[in-house]
Amino acid sequence: MNKRILIIDDEADIREATQLCLEIAKGWEVLTAGSSREGVEKATAELPDAVLLDVMMPDVDGLQTFERLQANPITQNIPVILLTAKAQTADRLRFTQLAIAAVITKPYDPLTLGDQIADILSSSDRGSGIVQ
Amino acid sequence: MQTDSAQHLSQGQQDAFPLLLHRMTNQIRQSLELSEILNATVAEVRAFLQTDRVKVYRFLADGSGEVVAESIDRQQLPSLLGHSFPAGDIPPEARELFLHVRQRSIVDVETQQIGLTFLEEGADVWTEDMRFRPVDACHIEYLTAMGVRSSLVVPIVDHDQLWGLLVSHHSQPRRVTDSELQVVQLVADQVSIAIAQSNILNETRLKALQEATINQVVALLHSLPEMQLQQALEQVITALHGSGGRLYIAPQNADQPAQFFVHGNQPIVPQGEIEQNFHWQAWLDIEEQQDIWALADIHQLHPFALPPELVAAFAMAQIRSLIIVRLHYRQKTLGYLSVFRGAIDVQRIWAGRVDQNDLRQVRPNLSFETWCQSKRDQANPWTPLDVQLIQILGGHFAVAIYQRGLYQRVRSLNTSLKRDIQMQKQAEIRISALNTELELRVRERTDELQQTNAELLLQIAQREQVLQEQRQAEASLARLSHQNELILNSAGDGIYGLDSQGRITFANPAAARMLNCEVRELIGQGMHTYLNYAQADGTLYLLSESPIYITLSNGTVQSRTGDLFHRHNGSSFPVEFVSSPIREEGKIVGAVVIFKDITERQIVEQMKDEFVSIVSHELRTPLTSIRSTLGLVASGWLDSHPEKSQRMLEIAYSNTNRLVRLINDILDIERIKFGKVTMEKKFCNADDIMTQSVDAMRAMAEKADIILSVVPIAAHLWADPDRLIQTLTNLLNNAIKFSPAHSIVQLTAEICTDQILFCVKDQGTGIPSDKLEAIFDRFQQVDASNSRSQGGTGLGLTICREIVQQHGGKIWVESQLGSGSSFYFTLPIHIDS
Repeated sequence: MNKRILIIDDEADIREATQLCLEIAKGWEVLTAGSSREGVEKATAELPDAVLLDVMMPDVDGLQTFERLQANPITQNIPVILLTAKAQTADRLRFTQLAIAAVITKPYDPLTLGDQIADILSSSDRGSGIVQ
Repeated sequence: MQTDSAQHLSQGQQDAFPLLLHRMTNQIRQSLELSEILNATVAEVRAFLQTDRVKVYRFLADGSGEVVAESIDRQQLPSLLGHSFPAGDIPPEARELFLHVRQRSIVDVETQQIGLTFLEEGADVWTEDMRFRPVDACHIEYLTAMGVRSSLVVPIVDHDQLWGLLVSHHSQPRRVTDSELQVVQLVADQVSIAIAQSNILNETRLKALQEATINQVVALLHSLPEMQLQQALEQVITALHGSGGRLYIAPQNADQPAQFFVHGNQPIVPQGEIEQNFHWQAWLDIEEQQDIWALADIHQLHPFALPPELVAAFAMAQIRSLIIVRLHYRQKTLGYLSVFRGAIDVQRIWAGRVDQNDLRQVRPNLSFETWCQSKRDQANPWTPLDVQLIQILGGHFAVAIYQRGLYQRVRSLNTSLKRDIQMQKQAEIRISALNTELELRVRERTDELQQTNAELLLQIAQREQVLQEQRQAEASLARLSHQNELILNSAGDGIYGLDSQGRITFANPAAARMLNCEVRELIGQGMHTYLNYAQADGTLYLLSESPIYITLSNGTVQSRTGDLFHRHNGSSFPVEFVSSPIREEGKIVGAVVIFKDITERQIVEQMKDEFVSIVSHELRTPLTSIRSTLGLVASGWLDSHPEKSQRMLEIAYSNTNRLVRLINDILDIERIKFGKVTMEKKFCNADDIMTQSVDAMRAMAEKADIILSVVPIAAHLWADPDRLIQTLTNLLNNAIKFSPAHSIVQLTAEICTDQILFCVKDQGTGIPSDKLEAIFDRFQQVDASNSRSQGGTGLGLTICREIVQQHGGKIWVESQLGSGSSFYFTLPIHIDS
C-alpha cells in the first residue's frame, strides 16, 4: 500500500537518506521539511499518512511541532512517529505520555525502517502504537 | 614536970643515955620512913623518961595539929594518936616562941610552975638556967582535964618552920633534969634531921612519882606510830586524882578541825564543847598572859573570877575544882589541858568536940573524948606539886602537840610526797604504759596511715587515671560533642531527631535553613504535620504510610528520594532522606532523619540528562546519516542508482568527519576541563600566533568570500601556542561561518597594561543578547542547523573558553543583531618580554 510520509528534520543529510530509504525500499511518497514551520505547513497542506518527526530542532522542536499538529483538527489524526536521536530513558518516558504513534530511535536501521513504519501505521489503525 | 638542975641523971639513965642516942640515931639512919622514926622516937623517949605518954604533935597549915606518933605506958593516960587539936590549943604566940626562941617548957601542975628555956638571942646557945614562972590557970586546967600532972614540950623545927612538938606527959608529978632535957633536945634535933631527911625522901619520892607520871605521859605522847593523847589525858587525870579532864587542841590551820579528848566528868554546856563556849573563851582571853588557872573551889571564888554560866556548867557536872594549863609553844597557843576534881568527904578525929560557938576558944577544951568530925562535899584543892606537875605535863603536851603538828605536817608532807611519788610513779607507769600504747598506736597508726597513704596514693593515681581518662573522655566527649555539633552545624544535610511520638527533639542549622526557619521553631513540632510531608508528585502522605512513621513504628530504616518537604511559607523542596530508628535498650525511642535538599541535584541531574541527551543526540545524528546512507549502499538497493549511491557515500563521509570532530571536541573539552591536557606553555610571539591562525583560516575565508584581516602585534606570551592558535582559528571559523559574503573578519590585538586583548570581529548576523553567555556552553549554537551545516560541533566556543581560562584569561562576546559580533579574550603578558 502506497504511503505518503512527511519527514520533518533539520538535518538535511538525514532527510535525504531517510527519504531515499523509504522511496527505494517501500516506494512510498516522501515529503520533507527542514523546520517545524515548514513541516506543519506541509502536513496541513498534504495530509500525509504519517509524519516522521525529529525532536531536536532549533527554534521549534519536535514536541512543540507535535502539539501544533495535534492542535490543528486537520492534522491531529495524522500518526506521528518520532524519529529521534534522544534515546535516554527520561526522554522515552516523556514520549510515552504523548499521543504519538511510535518512537523510532536514531540511528535507525535503513533496511527495516520501512517495515517498522508500516507496522506502526497498521498498528495505529488498530489503535495502539509501538515504541521502539 | 619540973627540971632539977641540981639533980642529974640516974645511973641507969646515965647508962641508957648513950644507948638511947645510939639507937635513935640508928633508927633514924636505918629508916627514912618518918612514921617509923617518930614511933621509934616516942618509944625510946618514953622508955628513957619513964613517963606515961610520949607523943609527936604535928602542926598543920591552919594552926591545928594532930598526934602523929605516940607511946603510952600501961594506959596511965589515954591514947591520943591520930587525934587532932584545934589551933587555939596552942595559940600563935606560943607557936612563935616555939619557933623563934626554941622555947622548951616544963609544966608542973602541982606547983603550977612552968619552966622555960630559950636559945640565946643571936646565938645558937641555950640559956643556962631554966626560968620558972607561974603557969596560966587555963593551961593548968587544960592539962588537968587531960589527966596530965607533968609535961615536957620540945619544939621540932624543920628548916626554920615549926614542924611539931615532942611532948612527954606523965600522970604523976615528975621532975625533969637538965640532962633529960638535953637528951630530949638532942632527940628532937635528931628528929628534925630525920624529918628533913624524910621530907627529902618524900620530895624525892614525889619527884620520882612525878617523874614517873611525866615519863608515862611523855611515853604516851611520844609513842609510835601515833601519840596516845587519850591515854595520856587519862594518865594525867589519874596522877592529879581528878574526876575528869579534857584536852583541847586548837586547829593548826584552816583545814584542820579542832580536836577534843575527854575523860570522866565534863562540864555541861548548852551546845558544843566548852572550849567553843563564848564565856570560856572570853574568860581565858582576859588572862591572856596567864598560863595556868588553878581553881580550888568554884564555890569559893570571887564573883568575877569565873562567869556564873561556867560555874553552873561545872557545878552541874559535880566538878568542884579545876586546873587549866595553856598549851603553848613559842608564844603560840596550841590548846588547853584541863583536869577537874569533884567534891570529897573529909573526916577528922578530934580530941574533944570542938565548940562551934567558941571558935576562938576563949575557954580551954576540957574534954578530950574522941570526936570524929565528918565534912561532906569539900573541895579538894590543888597542891603546888599538882600545879607543878600539870605545868610540866602541859609543857610536854605542848611540845608533843607541836611535834605532832610538825609530824603530821611532815607526815602529811611525806604522805603527800609519797602519794605524789606514788602518783608520779603510777603516772610514770601509766605514762610509760601510755607511751608504750601510744608508740604501739603510733606505730599501728603510722602503719595504717602508710597503708592508707599508699592506698590513697594508689586511689589518687587511679583517680588521677580515672580523672585523666574522664578528662580525656570528657575532652573526647566534648570534642566529639563539638565535632558532632560542628558536624551537625556544618553538615550540609539537614538532620533532625524525633521522639517516639514523632515530635522533633533536635535539628541542625542546615535543617532549619532548608526549612526556612529557626532551629528553636522546629523543636517540639510534630514532624508530619509541620513538614506536610508529601510524595514527589505533591500528594500528602497519610501518617500511617509515611516512611518516617514506619521507621518509628517498626524500626526499619527508610529512605526516599524526591519526596517533598514543605516550608512554613507553603513552598516545598525535593528531598532525599534516610530515617533511622533510635533504640535505647532495644526499645525504639525515636528516629533520626537525615535529609538533603536535592533541588540543585535534580537540576544538575536534569542538566546532565539533558547533556547526555544532547551528546547522545549530537553523536546519533551524524551516525544516523552514516548508518542510513551506508545501509542503503550496502543493501544494494542503490546499485541501479550509482549517483544516489555516490551521494550516500558522500553524506556518509561528511558525517563521519563530523563525528570525528565531534568526538575530538568532546574529548578535548573533558580533558581540558579536568586538567588531563597540560598546556605546554612557552615563550611565543603574539604576531606569530595571529599570523599562523589567519593563514590557517585563509582558505576557508576565501571559499566563503570573506575578507580576512589581521593586524599582528608584537608581544611575548607565556602560552601554549598550539592551543592559542586553536582558539583563534575557532573564533575565526565561527566568524567566517556566520558572516555574509564579502564581509570582513578582523583579527586584532592590543596590550592593556599587563594583558593582551585579542579581538575577532565579524559583520555577521549577530547574537541575541539572551544568548551572549549561553553560546559558550556546550551545544548552544545560535543556529544549530546552520552551524552543523557549516561543520560545527557546538563545542568550539566551549573549547575556546576552557583554553583561555587555562591560561588565566577571560573570554566574552559583544554583539548586536544585524551588526556582527566581536569575540574578545585576554591573556597575561609575560613581563620579561
